Amino acid sequence: MWYRIQSRYAPYLFIAPFLLLFALFWAYPLVQSLRLSLYATSGPESQVYIGLDNFRFLLSDPDFHLAVWNTLIYALFVVVVQLPLSLGLAVLLNRPGLKLRNVFRFVFFSPHLMGTVFASVLFGLIFAPRFGVFNRVLHLLVGLPMNTRWLGDADLVMPAIIILSLWLNVGFYMIYLLAALQGVRPDLYEAARVDGAGSWTRFLHVTLPGIWPVLLFVLVISTIGAFRVFELPWLLLQSTTGPDQSGLFIVTYLYQNGFEAADLGYASAIGWLLTAGVMLLTLVQLRIGGLGRGGES
Amino acid sequence: MRDRLAGVIPIGLAPAVLGVVAVVAGSLVLARGESDKHQDITVWTFSNTHYDTFMQTVPGFRHNADSDDIPVIDLQLVHYRVLDRRLRSTMWAGMDVPDLVEVNFNRAGTFFRGPVDKVGFIDLMPYLQRTDATGLTYLDRVLPSRLAAYTDRGRVFGLPHDVHPYVIAYRRDIFEAEGIDPDSIETWDDFIEVGRRLTIPDQRYMLQLDDTGVLSFEALLLQRGGGFFDSQGALTIDNETAVQTMLWFVPLVAGDQRISDNPAAQGQAFYKAIGDGYIVCFLCPDWLTKKIEMNLPQLAGKLALMPLPAVSPGGRRTTVRSGTMLGITADTPDPELAWELATYLYFDPAQVGPRFRQTNTLPANRDAWDDPVFREPRAYWSGQRIGELYIRLADQAPTQYSSPFQEQAAAKVGQAIAGACAYYRQHGDAGFETYVRDSLRDQAKAVRNQIQRNPF
Repeated sequence: MWYRIQSRYAPYLFIAPFLLLFALFWAYPLVQSLRLSLYATSGPESQVYIGLDNFRFLLSDPDFHLAVWNTLIYALFVVVVQLPLSLGLAVLLNRPGLKLRNVFRFVFFSPHLMGTVFASVLFGLIFAPRFGVFNRVLHLLVGLPMNTRWLGDADLVMPAIIILSLWLNVGFYMIYLLAALQGVRPDLYEAARVDGAGSWTRFLHVTLPGIWPVLLFVLVISTIGAFRVFELPWLLLQSTTGPDQSGLFIVTYLYQNGFEAADLGYASAIGWLLTAGVMLLTLVQLRIGGLGRGGES
Repeated sequence: MRDRLAGVIPIGLAPAVLGVVAVVAGSLVLARGESDKHQDITVWTFSNTHYDTFMQTVPGFRHNADSDDIPVIDLQLVHYRVLDRRLRSTMWAGMDVPDLVEVNFNRAGTFFRGPVDKVGFIDLMPYLQRTDATGLTYLDRVLPSRLAAYTDRGRVFGLPHDVHPYVIAYRRDIFEAEGIDPDSIETWDDFIEVGRRLTIPDQRYMLQLDDTGVLSFEALLLQRGGGFFDSQGALTIDNETAVQTMLWFVPLVAGDQRISDNPAAQGQAFYKAIGDGYIVCFLCPDWLTKKIEMNLPQLAGKLALMPLPAVSPGGRRTTVRSGTMLGITADTPDPELAWELATYLYFDPAQVGPRFRQTNTLPANRDAWDDPVFREPRAYWSGQRIGELYIRLADQAPTQYSSPFQEQAAAKVGQAIAGACAYYRQHGDAGFETYVRDSLRDQAKAVRNQIQRNPF
């Protein structure tokens, strides 16, 4: 009898904690935020139903447009610069006969261990005009003026954020790609070499198809990460959006509205638009990536 | 053994173990939570200098009372960047809300948003109208311009901690070496003239001004009688005073003739620029003098203060910006106790001397200004009586009105400044006035759109 009850209900009991937590901390907030996006709010207690006004206002809000533009620029650089750099490093570290491979691997990965918060604070000092290390090095190398204000000049804020992002993340994604490279069958390279394929041809026709699923995964998660960027610019710019709002990103704008202006409704609307945008982009990436893989194989 | 146990426990051994662990852990957490709650009153401050002062003065609260009547006070230092968010979270959740909290002016307005009866702070007006031991009401004692900063829709939500009058701090050694008499500087025109002599591009600048945000511009706008909002809460960032201030301000910070640079608005880069003599003068509210003393000890005796240059002869020689309020939260179970502690911390005459020595901050209650501590010469500031100087200027301090939309207005004015600086660097005076007018109008329109969305 007990055994029958146990075997019938035990699985439900096992998944009950997850379901409970999932419902409490994921499903309920999700539904609640969708409801909130239809309200003008001042904290959780003061709410007035306004239908789709938050979304309507959002589409004509110049600050939101700026936040989307900045985020797109950042995401584009992340994909166009970060991914090839990570892949390049991974290929270099995967070369047979490379000495101190583990040391290099640790060196390139170690910035990620530092964490965004500490790195942002540190780079705030590194980018400082007049005595910051970054200006000193560039002054010696290319004669850049010592008082170049990376965080005080609207045109330089985005490059500064991208530089820090690259420093933090290139090594992290390199690890994924290195693992993928090590999974490519050596006999495929042998066969290609026998067929007279050069190194570039081998890379295009053996390496890339071999690591394609991982490359696609890295592309998708780094794009999603780029759209969710918040703490890096927020801390680097000392809890501001920088000169001329050059460091305003979508999540920063969400945060400002939700937690500084206490307008949870508007923040929820921003969140839902961001979610929709990221989902759409991810689907496009997966679709294109899937088609590409099909073509290769 | 395992099988036998599994037979005895109907839900299975593993869930049972997990259940026991959960119950034990939950009980421990609950028990610990209870033990943490033995506080009668909780106070949050974001200022380490305030915290240090309060730590010294709090033990004296109700020191003549019976031991049963002496409350346990939990004083907490919360970093200024997180205080308002943490406070908002506690207020929204209705849990662990402090009884008394110090909030910076720039953030205070956001707490006044929404229906007035749902603001998270109690209205202090009934308390301020009470008469104290001296026969004066608290309302009589506080500088009205500072009280206005924390007043919204007729209710006073915060007790002002300070006045924060501004002066100019200057490198006295450099002034002397260059033969400059600070007393000869009465107006901004005089100051700029001296600035042109002292400024050596890329080597030395007369003044530090923030050209990427509103830190300097807002203070100088207030000196000219402007501000971001008026007494009725209307946005004024595009009125004629704002336009004229911007037209005057931008050439100081941009273009070939500038006398200002901004290596950093604050922090170590700012201090280093002063220490190196790269920056000769800077706008200096009272609280900043203490930070300077702490961060630039090597400049003792080399710095001095002078009143802010006036816009025109005989004009206002100071300004203000920002400040701190002490609010009693609506969640406090004992507002009377909170008020008593608030007045003890801010109004008790015995605290005035130690507080000023520790913070260099001029209190907002005028009767405190008679304390001899403000006449003490300070060796660091070349022997000047800095308290006396700030008091002399305090009555001229303009009123800065708070608004729930203060941050949005500041962000938009910051954008206008950045845009105007970029325009001026590229085009100089040509079309500059039209650009500034259009820019401020556009930025104001964006803020007004936000304000109009607010149904509360």
